[in-house]
Amino acid sequence: MVVVRRLLYSQKAAPYLFIAPFVITLLAFWLLPLARTFLLSTQEVVFGQAAFIGLDNYQRLWEDRLFWKAMFNSARYMVLTIALLIPIPLVLAALINSKIGSDRVKAVFKASMFVPALTSVVVAGIIFRLMFAETGTGLMNQIVGVFGLDPVRWLRIDTGGLIALLALAMWRWTGVNILYFLAGMQSIPEEYYEAATIDGASRLQQFFHITLPNLKPTIVYVTTISIYGGLAMFLESFMLYRGNSSPNDQGLTVIGYLYRRGIEQNDLGFASAVGVVLVVVIMAINLTFLTLSGTFKKESAR
Amino acid sequence: MTTRRRITSLLAAGLAATLMLSACGGSEEEGGPDAQGRTSIDMWVFAELHGTYYEAMAEAWNEKNPDKEIKLDVTVFPYDEMHNKLQLAVNSGKGLPDVVDIEVNKFSNFVTEDGRTPLADLSEAAEPYQEDIVQARMDLYAREGKQLGFPTHVGAQVAFYNVPLLEKAGVDYTTIETWDDFKAAGAKYNKATGKAFGVASTDTNIVQPLVMAQLGGNLFDEDGNVTVNSPEVVEAIELLQDMQKAGALSTIPGGSPDIEEAYGPINNGDYAAIVYPAWYTSRFVDYMPDLAGDIAIAPAPVIEGGEVATVGGGGTGTAVIDSSPDKEFAMEWLAFAKLSPEANVAVWEELGFDPVNMSVWEDKEVTHNPENKFNKYFRTNLFDVLNEVKGDIGHFESFENPNLPKVDEVFTTSTYNQIFGDGVPAKQALDQAQADLENQLK
Amino acid sequence: MSAEPATRTRIQLPYWLHGSVQTALLLVLTLVVLAPLLIMFVATFQDGNDVIRRGLSLDVDRSSLSLDNYVMLFTDSGPYFRWFANSILLTVVQVAGTLLVSSFVAYGFAVYEFKGKTALFIAVLLLMAVPFEIMMLPLYVLVNDVGLDDSYSVIVLPFLAAAVTIFYFRQYFLGIPKDLLEAGRMDGATEFGIFFKIVVPVAKPAFAAMAILNGMIIWNNFLWPLLVLRSESKFTLPIGLNTLLTPHENNYELLIIGSMFSLLPVLVLFLLFQRFFVAGMTAGALKG
Repeated sequence: MVVVRRLLYSQKAAPYLFIAPFVITLLAFWLLPLARTFLLSTQEVVFGQAAFIGLDNYQRLWEDRLFWKAMFNSARYMVLTIALLIPIPLVLAALINSKIGSDRVKAVFKASMFVPALTSVVVAGIIFRLMFAETGTGLMNQIVGVFGLDPVRWLRIDTGGLIALLALAMWRWTGVNILYFLAGMQSIPEEYYEAATIDGASRLQQFFHITLPNLKPTIVYVTTISIYGGLAMFLESFMLYRGNSSPNDQGLTVIGYLYRRGIEQNDLGFASAVGVVLVVVIMAINLTFLTLSGTFKKESAR
Repeated sequence: MTTRRRITSLLAAGLAATLMLSACGGSEEEGGPDAQGRTSIDMWVFAELHGTYYEAMAEAWNEKNPDKEIKLDVTVFPYDEMHNKLQLAVNSGKGLPDVVDIEVNKFSNFVTEDGRTPLADLSEAAEPYQEDIVQARMDLYAREGKQLGFPTHVGAQVAFYNVPLLEKAGVDYTTIETWDDFKAAGAKYNKATGKAFGVASTDTNIVQPLVMAQLGGNLFDEDGNVTVNSPEVVEAIELLQDMQKAGALSTIPGGSPDIEEAYGPINNGDYAAIVYPAWYTSRFVDYMPDLAGDIAIAPAPVIEGGEVATVGGGGTGTAVIDSSPDKEFAMEWLAFAKLSPEANVAVWEELGFDPVNMSVWEDKEVTHNPENKFNKYFRTNLFDVLNEVKGDIGHFESFENPNLPKVDEVFTTSTYNQIFGDGVPAKQALDQAQADLENQLK
Repeated sequence: MSAEPATRTRIQLPYWLHGSVQTALLLVLTLVVLAPLLIMFVATFQDGNDVIRRGLSLDVDRSSLSLDNYVMLFTDSGPYFRWFANSILLTVVQVAGTLLVSSFVAYGFAVYEFKGKTALFIAVLLLMAVPFEIMMLPLYVLVNDVGLDDSYSVIVLPFLAAAVTIFYFRQYFLGIPKDLLEAGRMDGATEFGIFFKIVVPVAKPAFAAMAILNGMIIWNNFLWPLLVLRSESKFTLPIGLNTLLTPHENNYELLIIGSMFSLLPVLVLFLLFQRFFVAGMTAGALKG
């Protein structure tokens, strides 16, 4: 009892008790599996029997066309979502933040834009799959029909599938990104704009010279989560294509390939090698970002 | 004080919960009958309909064997999830069922090249029924002299023609015997109506193997190595691609005839000729009610002078897990549930599949029962067609190769989409598939 | 600048017109954004197989609309409400657990100095950006080996100390004046007493925001439960709905109406607590 009481009052021991759950999680659910991934990536596993095969899995990976296709698909998705999901929400946020227009309409708009983010990927994927149906009666085909075009076999062709994926991403995330940017804009002191107006700067000039530079931290943050989200995308494609197989593997992502080789084809060794490569890529991007943004410096100074 | 107590009790509760859960999960099942003399059998299937069928078969068994009843516990999973979970369970040797349905294209995932397998040898249990069963379908699930699974149906590929539509275009389906006839008829139909005739499926590998088998081709060489760009395979796919160019085949929404998106167009009369396995009868009856009375079943087109008339397409092999404590009992029940004549009558009457026990094919009372919903729907009788091709049902050896699942995956995601969807020349797409597969299998 | 004259003219537009152009644009966008959900809502009154065959369409046969699907949902939807209950249970338990454990850890990082702190905190930052999917395979093998598959504990445990949540709480706790904690110590409270009696009440908004963020993630959690769960009776909503999408079953009515119905709890909560939702979902953007 005395020991316990001393522990509870001790400022020395307390932090370790507070931190303990994280340390356990780190060891049991991250480091142990990570170590196992590294180990598995050097093995061939058949019905639970593992045999060491050195770097063979990595060599196969390097020569594997589908792996590179999956990497390309993930990278392409990441780049395009960043290209779309930063400028468009930024402009919309500026529109809402401007003094003109009815506040009630803006509030309704903000709330509506947020609704898709509340929709799970599973449900959103089902809806978009049905909207992008290849029959002439599907919604998207009705829309292209208005322009006199023939029905498009959306999810059966590469561009069509990409458009559907990007539309899904835009639908779900535009609203959230608008809110990020709005929060950023509202923290910019009003005086900056007043001073600029006195100097005769136009609204457009104010946007480029005051709003954008001051939003840099927010933009950097949104970019980072988009890089991560883009490279780790899987479920959107899985739902849109009703499973992990898509025509010509046009919807295959890195995680999807890991899932196919590991879970569907039971090649744990190879799949682990895919996982290791992905960890290295994402870690490299993260460390670069955290170093550039000075987070490490701040932490060690604290 | 209260805080401390709260934390300790929380931790204790968490610990207890974890231990309890591990204890539950870790308990090993013991075999043998329970106090009432019933043996519990755990079964996994991937189609609700199959589950209902096995439950009926358990009841039928219990009526005949009151001394050794079965207590069947069926779990239905979605297709992908069931096979994925089975693979992982096989790897760890834990959490396995006693009996399991395995789809034919996935079956080879459960046998290695050198014959290692977690599945039990069912040869002995099959003995009493052996001679009535279509051998080609048993071979599908046999490896290295061991019978590892029992078939569900023959799945003999046949042709389904929409007669009123064909007549309007001046096409007589009874004259179609070879693929050349099919092509000519399709071109004529397409020209007359502007509509699609047959289906070039991109998402299933069913009709393509039929043509490969008819040409005597194989996806693997004699040593079991992948040769998906062998001359016969290329010829088979080119034959289909030529038919597509001639207007006799077209792609279909959904990628294959057996999917909801495709039932609509077929039901609307947008396609007039479907070559597919005999079990497709049930899809017509269940999902395309508008076509009742319009569809005639006929033998699938053949290659002039070829030996093989048709091969089975699709299928489910039901296996017993070798490590099951009730292995012997499970095997005996399974043989009854899948191979016995009464089971096979049920396969036809309940599911509309062509049964593997051929004694049923000759039982006119069953096959020509005018009250049967399948017989009512179609213009011609399925069994007349089956008996016509009975002697020429071939076995496509590639189905036995352990690497078939990977070939199937590449074909149905990439190769067929390139060929029939994007118009890539067959040879080029197959060379690409060969290269991809060689690297995958290295 | 060539854009300048144009900008000038726009500014000279009457104030009310300028505003209405913007208003019209926002209203059109609102409609576009809500359209998929509205069309899907109409589809809940249609025959499910027909919707799958034709796709979601503007061209709706009005005579085919009926309430049959709603009757089916409430009378004959099989395990649907079981999945619903499972999802609610799992979300509530996991959110409560995650908030407790993560805030606990965050407090440790925020107020104490100890050996290895920097290294451990960098681990938190790195974990924020490692996709769990990579750990999924070995962890699943592990779970299978110890026989813990098909249990909720495996779904919950790895995420109790969640990096993003820890990070957020830590930032919040850093802003709590040290004097407040010292006062607690003077009163004879234990270190844990201080946390529960002083810190937690002050940090209520942070708890609300994190409850929403984690609630959203857990309610929609898919891949890991898909691997772990085996029995249909234990499925959560996303897993159950996904099973309805496979071509081997035919319950497309339930797929459509069940999907829409699953949005209801979240939408209702959103309408009630919109402010907290916005705070929770955009929680990551606070200054580091």
